Amino acid sequence: MGLEFLARVRKTSTWLGGVLALMAATYVDPMLGVAFAAGGVWSLANLRLLEKLVVSLFAPERSSPGSRRRLGFALGGLLGLFAAGAVLLQLLSPTALLLGFLLPLAVIVLKAAATLLLGSRLWGAIVNHRFRAALAAMALAAVTWFALGALTDATAENGSAGGQGAVTSAAPADPHGAAPADPHAAAGAGEHTAAGGEHAAPSGSSQAFPNVLGLIAGANHGKPWADFLHHYEILGFSLLVALLLGLVAFLASRRPQLVPGGLQNLVETVVEGLADFISGILGPKHGPRFVPFLGTLFIYILAMNLFGLIPFMHSATANLNVTVALALTVFVYVQFIGFKELGPLGWLDHMLGSPRDLTGWLLAPIMLPIHLLGELAKPISLSCRLFGNIFGEDMLLVAFASLGVAMLPFQQVPFGVPMQVVFYPLILLGSFLQAMVFTVLSSIYILLMLPHDHHDEQGHGHEAGAQHAH
Amino acid sequence: MDFHAALSLGLPLGIGVAAIGSGIGLGLIGQGAMQAIGRQPEATAKIQLAMIIIAALAEALTIYAFVTMFLLRDKI
Repeated sequence: MGLEFLARVRKTSTWLGGVLALMAATYVDPMLGVAFAAGGVWSLANLRLLEKLVVSLFAPERSSPGSRRRLGFALGGLLGLFAAGAVLLQLLSPTALLLGFLLPLAVIVLKAAATLLLGSRLWGAIVNHRFRAALAAMALAAVTWFALGALTDATAENGSAGGQGAVTSAAPADPHGAAPADPHAAAGAGEHTAAGGEHAAPSGSSQAFPNVLGLIAGANHGKPWADFLHHYEILGFSLLVALLLGLVAFLASRRPQLVPGGLQNLVETVVEGLADFISGILGPKHGPRFVPFLGTLFIYILAMNLFGLIPFMHSATANLNVTVALALTVFVYVQFIGFKELGPLGWLDHMLGSPRDLTGWLLAPIMLPIHLLGELAKPISLSCRLFGNIFGEDMLLVAFASLGVAMLPFQQVPFGVPMQVVFYPLILLGSFLQAMVFTVLSSIYILLMLPHDHHDEQGHGHEAGAQHAH
Repeated sequence: MDFHAALSLGLPLGIGVAAIGSGIGLGLIGQGAMQAIGRQPEATAKIQLAMIIIAALAEALTIYAFVTMFLLRDKI
């Protein structure tokens, strides 16, 4: 007991409050989750400051100046905390704030009750007999089941319009909210289907998890900047990822040391691994020149892929616009490298299949369209592969999240089993693999454009390679 | 059978057919790579790199069908 008990209470409340706030934000209403989390944080800070106050008042060395300073700090912190609480009560839902405030207190009571119960003779009598323990567990489960059923019936009878509306409109992954809306939208809006081909419609908002920028835009509906934000949500997320990566790079390289530690160590490991990997493909002669471009591509794509796994964030690569932009960057860069390294005539020669004898010149008119088509197909395949994989992963998560809501018999309770968590390892693997495939294919396109040495004839140099072999 | 029925029947079927094809391809790639690694364990890194690239190319065919499904889904 004592301070150690309080520390345990803090830890438990943090984890429990985090999970509960996330669930409330996902299944009920995002602002409710924020309010709950704010209440919990407020209560925890309050407890912590009270603890400091009590310690500095009753500690043996309470007359020392350090203790006095701590006392003043705790008192000032409490005053600031109350001011922050008043502001929070103005801004957020009071009920959720109160629930969040009560959470650490409830944890304290439950922990104390558990300590008392675990030592009592009744508990020992139940637990030591295996049939009695099983019976008690089953009774507990049955009571929970019926209580939930009664609760849902009561809410359904009370205000079917109000209660149901809140659930269906708020629950983001609710199949009842999403499914009926879809055919109507498709059948009703002729313009939408007409424009769908151009806009690559799959970013259907009814079929995706809510995200931060979308929520901000939705809360300020009608204002010009909110519409702008809603329209360019994907750009916002890709910029956010770029800023985060830039921040990490800045922090890691701010004070470079000979013996790196912490962040610098991590970033250096990643950069060296990438440099080795890319030099292994392009060869030690050309490799180091292309490491900055290709390595940035890998890190950026990987970060964007993984960003969608954070709750209320969105993978920018699950949108065709972003992947097409990335693939076009690679395409232009590869052609630029070709012009720079081979010269315009050399580039034309490369496109003709490098004819050196009569057979080569006879085949050249066929080789030119084949090579041109091949160059044009590269960005299409790059962008579609990345987009399809990441978008498919997102769809998988949404489908299983809505399954988690639908599998429960209590439709009125805004709660679901997080079924999608099962797929997180698969998605981590897939995101990494797709970022790597994009990078490897880009470096191979660069390799094919570079002037060939005699010993590593690849791809386009097949005819010439065959000649040399004979 | 009108246009909508044909589309809603054909889209999932198309994905299935594409998945069969690239599944066979992926199986062959994996078989070849595993045999090569078994024969030459010291070349594992090179073989794995090539395997992943070719597997990505084979897998992309299913992804094209998937993307097509999502582009045409609104027309059902």
